[in-house]
Amino acid sequence: MIATLSQVCLDAPVVDRAVTRHCPATVTRASVRGVGGTDAVLAARLAAGDDHALTEVFDALAYSVYGSALRVLGDDSAAQDVVQDVFVELWSHPDRYDPVAGTLRTYLTMLARHRAVDLVRSELRRLARQERTYRLTPAPASAGVGDEVLAAETAGLVRAAVQSLPASQRQVVELAYFEGLTCREVASAVGIPEGTAKSRLRLALAKLETVLDRQLLEPS
Amino acid sequence: MTAADHDPPVLPPGLRERVLAASLRARDAGRPVPDAPEISAVEAFSRAASAFYAVLCFLGDDHWRTPVLRDLDVQGLVGHLIGVEHDVHRALAGDPDVADANHVESTQAAAVGQAAHPPARTRAEWRRAADRTLDLVRARESADSQAQGARVALYGMRLPASTLLVVRAFELWTHENDIRRAVGWEASVPDPSTLRLMTDLAARLLPQAGAGLPEPVDVRLVLTGPGGGTWDVTVGGSPPARTARTARTAETARTAGTAGTAISIVTDAVGFCRLAANRIAPAELDVNVTGDPGRAAAVLAAATTLALD
Repeated sequence: MIATLSQVCLDAPVVDRAVTRHCPATVTRASVRGVGGTDAVLAARLAAGDDHALTEVFDALAYSVYGSALRVLGDDSAAQDVVQDVFVELWSHPDRYDPVAGTLRTYLTMLARHRAVDLVRSELRRLARQERTYRLTPAPASAGVGDEVLAAETAGLVRAAVQSLPASQRQVVELAYFEGLTCREVASAVGIPEGTAKSRLRLALAKLETVLDRQLLEPS
Repeated sequence: MTAADHDPPVLPPGLRERVLAASLRARDAGRPVPDAPEISAVEAFSRAASAFYAVLCFLGDDHWRTPVLRDLDVQGLVGHLIGVEHDVHRALAGDPDVADANHVESTQAAAVGQAAHPPARTRAEWRRAADRTLDLVRARESADSQAQGARVALYGMRLPASTLLVVRAFELWTHENDIRRAVGWEASVPDPSTLRLMTDLAARLLPQAGAGLPEPVDVRLVLTGPGGGTWDVTVGGSPPARTARTARTAETARTAGTAGTAISIVTDAVGFCRLAANRIAPAELDVNVTGDPGRAAAVLAAATTLALD
């Protein structure tokens, strides 16, 4: 039986206190049953709710995560948002990281890159919608000259970037983003397999990202 | 601005604080993932009793004569547990004679007496005694709130009935594994919900176990795997006992610690329970220690004193 010395009172109010000191980096023995390396131990600690482990991971890897996001986005504010997304994801779902599959650094930087690319795609879609609206909707009489010029410049940049794509990629981009077709519909319209349509779109987006030189992603 | 401009990148000011705070808003510190479904102490005891009974049902007649613990064979150990259940019944009824009784001496007659009976009778007697414990606690729970909150006095402990049941679930799991080891069967692991109650109990008792340590030590206890979690415990010094589930928010995480030394102990939940049950020594536990290894060893050694056996 587990017990203790005497007069134990286990229903006493919990003292709301926590250790604030950051643990020194030295690990005296490096083996926890069922897990192997340091990343595996960190993952196990994160899963157990050890927020010190989160701090340690942030201090060790936040630079890499931030850099990974910044390389895709070229925008400091958006990259910071990605860093937050990545670490909130890690803390909320530590079990999604598999130490057997790779290092924590690789996992987090890949996660950052995926989030950043998602942001780029989302922004491109938004701009495409904006461009479409610009083409189809007469400018209101009250619109300022400056707004019209800005919108026209943005639309012009997108159009020019799309025009620079190879014909096969330009076609799927126009159908997907300017005519609003789904990938399946694009594939059907062009007469290619859906997987081919998707890969052409991916290539096109990657090229657009370069061609636009991230100008369109600068915060307005 | 190009990517090359940010190599190596410099973290913007405030980002660290912002990200850590957002993370702790998304999930409380100390809460394990995946979190085990919460169960009552009655349910935990019921599950532990079922697991123990299942082992008894699979024992062959020759297994019952296998030496297992102290001077007891398996049947004697089950007899000891029958005696414990009877003492629990008396404690729930407020009998002062068991309040400070010795755990082994009080049950020795029941343990030895079972040798005269066939194993099937011992098994059935234990099952009835355990069921009676459940009935009494459930009746107590449905009584008025004053009775529910009252402590039960048994073997020197003063515990709410619900906590006593977790202690008992811990004991049944420990002895179930004593029997498994004695007859050559694989060890068992409690289900995550029961294990979570057991780890919480052991973590909360750690300051009591380590009260004799000369200097206070802030211990972050991280128990990994199903049923685990994170606790901040102050062990040793005077006053001795402070235990807290790890801070739930970023704000409380900034609250100052109090003890002079901080260590972190990371080990798996089941291993720590085996340590607290004094079934393995600290040296047998796979553990990661951050901070002074000597103090960590002292804390782990103290944990083994939680067991009454």
